[in-house]
Amino acid sequence: MRTLLVALSLLSSSAAMAQAATPQEALPSPRAAAPGEAVEPSTTDVAQPSAPLPPRANAPTVPEASPSIDERLTADEHRVEALEEQNTETKNDLSALKKLRFSGYIQARYQYQEPLDDTGAGGFSRFGVRRGRLKATYTTDVAQFMLQIDAVPAGVTLKDAEATLFVPGTRQQLSLTMGQMKWPFGYEGPQSSSDREFPERSRVVRNLLPSERDRGAKVNGRYKFLRLAVGLFDGNGTDSGTTQDNDKEKDVVGHLGFDLKWIAGGISGWYGHTLGRLPTDTFRHAYQRSRVGADLQAYFDVVPLGGTSLKGEFIAGRTYGAANNATHLDVPAHGWYLLLVQNIGLNDAVGVRYDSFDPHNGQRDLAAGEAPGADNTINTVGVVVQHHFGENLKMSATYEIPTTHVVAQALDPHDNLFTLQMQARF
Amino acid sequence: MKKTLLSSFVAFGLAVLPLSAQAGTVTVKGSDTMVILAQRWAEAFMKKNPSMKIQVTGGGSGTGLAALQNGTTDIAMSSREIKEAEEEKLRARYNTPPTGVAVAKDGVTFYVNESNKVDALTVEQLKEIYLGDTASWKAVGGADAPIVLYSRENSSGTYVFVKDTVLGGDDFASAAQTLPGTAAVVNAVAKEKNGIGYGGAAYAKGIKELKVKKGAEAFAPSAENVKSGKYPLSRDLFFYLRNKPAGDVKAFIDFALSAEGQAIVTQVGYFPVK
Repeated sequence: MRTLLVALSLLSSSAAMAQAATPQEALPSPRAAAPGEAVEPSTTDVAQPSAPLPPRANAPTVPEASPSIDERLTADEHRVEALEEQNTETKNDLSALKKLRFSGYIQARYQYQEPLDDTGAGGFSRFGVRRGRLKATYTTDVAQFMLQIDAVPAGVTLKDAEATLFVPGTRQQLSLTMGQMKWPFGYEGPQSSSDREFPERSRVVRNLLPSERDRGAKVNGRYKFLRLAVGLFDGNGTDSGTTQDNDKEKDVVGHLGFDLKWIAGGISGWYGHTLGRLPTDTFRHAYQRSRVGADLQAYFDVVPLGGTSLKGEFIAGRTYGAANNATHLDVPAHGWYLLLVQNIGLNDAVGVRYDSFDPHNGQRDLAAGEAPGADNTINTVGVVVQHHFGENLKMSATYEIPTTHVVAQALDPHDNLFTLQMQARF
Repeated sequence: MKKTLLSSFVAFGLAVLPLSAQAGTVTVKGSDTMVILAQRWAEAFMKKNPSMKIQVTGGGSGTGLAALQNGTTDIAMSSREIKEAEEEKLRARYNTPPTGVAVAKDGVTFYVNESNKVDALTVEQLKEIYLGDTASWKAVGGADAPIVLYSRENSSGTYVFVKDTVLGGDDFASAAQTLPGTAAVVNAVAKEKNGIGYGGAAYAKGIKELKVKKGAEAFAPSAENVKSGKYPLSRDLFFYLRNKPAGDVKAFIDFALSAEGQAIVTQVGYFPVK
């Protein structure tokens, strides 16, 4: 830097002297040669102030001028100010980008299920990508936009497309959301699959809240330890095989919860109708679609190994759409689960879940030969071990043992399921 | 096959389970407002306990709480209360309710340049200034000059505190320049005669601290006023943990809350909680 300043000083002194001598005439000056470059004869290349002039013969000696401390400080201050301006500009750009957040996760699995019976039929051993989520969220003080897609081998589907208004003056404690979103019902339904310990939701949630999502509008409110979410939805869910509501009525779905830090929970309700036709119906009929639910989660810190949580939920409902778009019109069903999770240190956890689902309340157990009836109660015991490799990768091994109620000569199918899952999240 | 499956399952469990934290080292991360205070505590604590190592780094309250979620810090320093979403994430990840410990008190202080005639403002006036509704010092009894706003970045707990407490949840005027730390705000206000900024009381050196008017009286962010609650912009400074304090972490927090630790709070320029 000092060399440069000296060179500049020399340049300005020489130029000034030259100007004084011949004010109307531009002095030709040779261009400074780069290392290894041949020196070319100069032309009228005078507009290169950074190029040092070689001392001319008989030129008066110019004393070396080094900048004063003040000059150097001023130069440095200007440089810092320039950097500050650049920094401010960059920050302004970044502050807009900060409002846009991308997140997502991939759940890749290996699963093994035993052959269902002694003949070796059924069962599987397979790799799969269960979920490949990419979510974009843009949040400002008054609005939020959220779009989530699921990219899996079967195709890309829209999971969430929400537009939210935070009611001004409520510090984002009250909001209105419209679009495609999760039903505000219970605990496990709205819970993110990336947070769950078990690979899939319990059987009752999978049946009574298939796809967990629907199109509608909901209001979210919080007051101290109370939370309320209630909305109007089409009611059919996003896995029902239709993208349009099949009736003019809307389903009302809501959850009133509390959160006292170590214990949280709530009650849920759902009331609506859906058009459908039973084999005995001549015309389509509006069947009641309803659910009630209660959930509770407790978090303890008593075991020296780490935190312990106990979670449970009960749901009962009428008319539900199970897997493969099979709608059980006017059928009452209920189920529940209890989940115990024990953390071991910061990175490990073990969990045990018992879940029970009765697909048809009040119907006695049936059997068709050696196979139990489709509506017989199924109870499932599952054990999971999980480990976090840093903040982004979670690996879990789960073993689930379903037990189907059987009668007469029917046999419980050998449908135990092992799932090894890697979940990467960002 | 069942046996094979169960064996694999148990083997996986045994392979991944036994991992423990590095003993003797406690990491503390988060609020820039609290960095100096925590460093002083760490120095004093390590003198008394030479086998212990306390690592303190800043980054902002949000950063500290995120680090707590990711398991990369034992203690998150935060100059604001934990948000519900952060609490839920911690519970989901560690199956335990997080614990917050108030370790000191702070009066959030508004600074103006020493040459500024204005000595005191009401919270409402501060709100109007930071919303951009009041753009000239003349409107609040000062010179006929535009107000230059300085603010903190949104990862800062002080930013959140001012946004919630002073602005009532509304957003800062877009003209407010965000600066990375309280020291940067103080430096900017010291250089800009029409500037106004805010931060922790401990950093307010070389510039004028504004009093806050409540009715006819104006209160300075002094120890007495913060402790008595007369100063309207006081707040707690927290340590947040994933669970209840235990072992080395507990020993460090106990020290911070001890008479010696609270004396350090006063030395640094904040206010004791005990």
